Amino acid sequence: MSRALALPLGLSQPRTSRRFGRALKGFAGVAVLLLAWQLSVPIVGLGPYFYPAPTDVIAAFADLIRKGILPVYFADSMERYLAGLFIGALLGIAGGVLIGLNRTVALTLSPLLKFLFAIVEVAWIPIFVVWFGYGVKTIVLALVYVVFFPVLYNTLLGVRTAPQVLVNALRSLGANRLQVLRYAILPAALPGIITGLRVGAGFAFRGLVFAEIVAAKTGIGYLIFEGTQTQQTARTIVGMIVMGLTWLAIDQLYLRPLERGTVQRWGLTVDAEQRT
Amino acid sequence: MNANKPRSATWLGALPFVFLLVGWWLLPRLVQYPAYMLPPIGDVVAFARESVMDGSLLRNVLASVARLAAGFAIGIALALPLGLAIALNRHVADTFRPVLSFLQAIAGIAWVPLTIIWFGIGNGSVIFVIANTIFFASLYNVVTGVQSIPTSLYRAVRSHGGHGWSLLVNLILPGALVQLLLGIRTSMAYGWRALVAAEMIAGSSGLGFMTMEAVQWQRTDTIILGMIVIGLIWMLMDRTVFTEIERRTVGRWGLLQR
Repeated sequence: MSRALALPLGLSQPRTSRRFGRALKGFAGVAVLLLAWQLSVPIVGLGPYFYPAPTDVIAAFADLIRKGILPVYFADSMERYLAGLFIGALLGIAGGVLIGLNRTVALTLSPLLKFLFAIVEVAWIPIFVVWFGYGVKTIVLALVYVVFFPVLYNTLLGVRTAPQVLVNALRSLGANRLQVLRYAILPAALPGIITGLRVGAGFAFRGLVFAEIVAAKTGIGYLIFEGTQTQQTARTIVGMIVMGLTWLAIDQLYLRPLERGTVQRWGLTVDAEQRT
Repeated sequence: MNANKPRSATWLGALPFVFLLVGWWLLPRLVQYPAYMLPPIGDVVAFARESVMDGSLLRNVLASVARLAAGFAIGIALALPLGLAIALNRHVADTFRPVLSFLQAIAGIAWVPLTIIWFGIGNGSVIFVIANTIFFASLYNVVTGVQSIPTSLYRAVRSHGGHGWSLLVNLILPGALVQLLLGIRTSMAYGWRALVAAEMIAGSSGLGFMTMEAVQWQRTDTIILGMIVIGLIWMLMDRTVFTEIERRTVGRWGLLQR
């Protein structure tokens, strides 16, 4: 018992046999869950509207692929997500640098930013709907909003960690403001920017699904919502599974390696979740 | 910002708010636009006063906060034992990890359409979604909390004859709880969003319901009031509850590695 404790799971480098055993147990966990679900369907016996079986879900998945609905919805969702992430990150970085470099700007804007951040993006969606109607604009705007703040705060913290010695050295060597930014401040802020992006990406992904439930006619969130509305609950579950696998893929294949390559490499970790 | 900030900082910080309010007041006088897009500031103030007077605002706030509390309690109560089991037993961890990371990826709002079928519109659906969200956020904290207990502390407890139950009560549980408390702000950030979102889709009262329902009637004054109250309540919770918890836990157990 204490041995498992002493080894922080996930940080150790297990040997191949250990890794294989872990994968096998994980697979068994998934298999048991699916089997229990399938077997419980006749026992619960409430019909596919209330409690669809895994086989219904697989059939719905095949149907959605055959009709070409799922690929289109998936592409639409990803387009919105990436657009929101990109614009939000860009604005957040710009704002973070601007505020981080100027004390007066920071003092002036920080209460307003705190208040706006407290009005979560979810609460903006109704007014976006009134202003821009149901559709892409509302969704992307909500995502921009949710990504903006974590990126801003973490960029800000990163900018402030830029060593003054380095800035002074560059200045005395005749660097202009832009060069100081390029060679001293942005590199120092990079880990913060990445951390902010990772936090923002997590909130934005849930924000995307919610925004699509409320304000879209396509997309994975809409699929999840539409399924129950049209008595095709299996479609809802297909949507949830696609959503989960997509997030796992984004997180494992993209965000974590990105963070490993920057934040952990250049140290200076700031506990982002605590600040945002 | 720290405590000894100059008074001028307060005035500087108030500037953007003044600017916004004046702009909002001036806008209908300068530009023509349909009133439902942005009602005059006077309308929102009047509506705010009215809904405070007749108690409807307070009722909605209390309904939301009560749901958050219920979902929070359920989520933590489930996360603590499972988190301990995962942290203490490698086999449990290996078996559950893929299933749990998948369920974590879909935690929260994506469950609402299903919960509407299962529990109908109202409390059941909303509390399920919050509990679900808090559960996964806390589970992670419990596991890392136990794992971040330094090995030397185990050795210390064991060398004094502690094992089994006393090890759990005196070392492991406090270790997990500290991390749980430290992560509470993040958990609640997800929980609060889940609450507002779930109320918007599946609620029959509460701040989210109030704000979303107003869209149908184009009552923009209600929407804006809802947004402001949602922001204020979060700030209030942040300032009082979470900051205090953080101060006490970090102050008391500050030696624990973060």
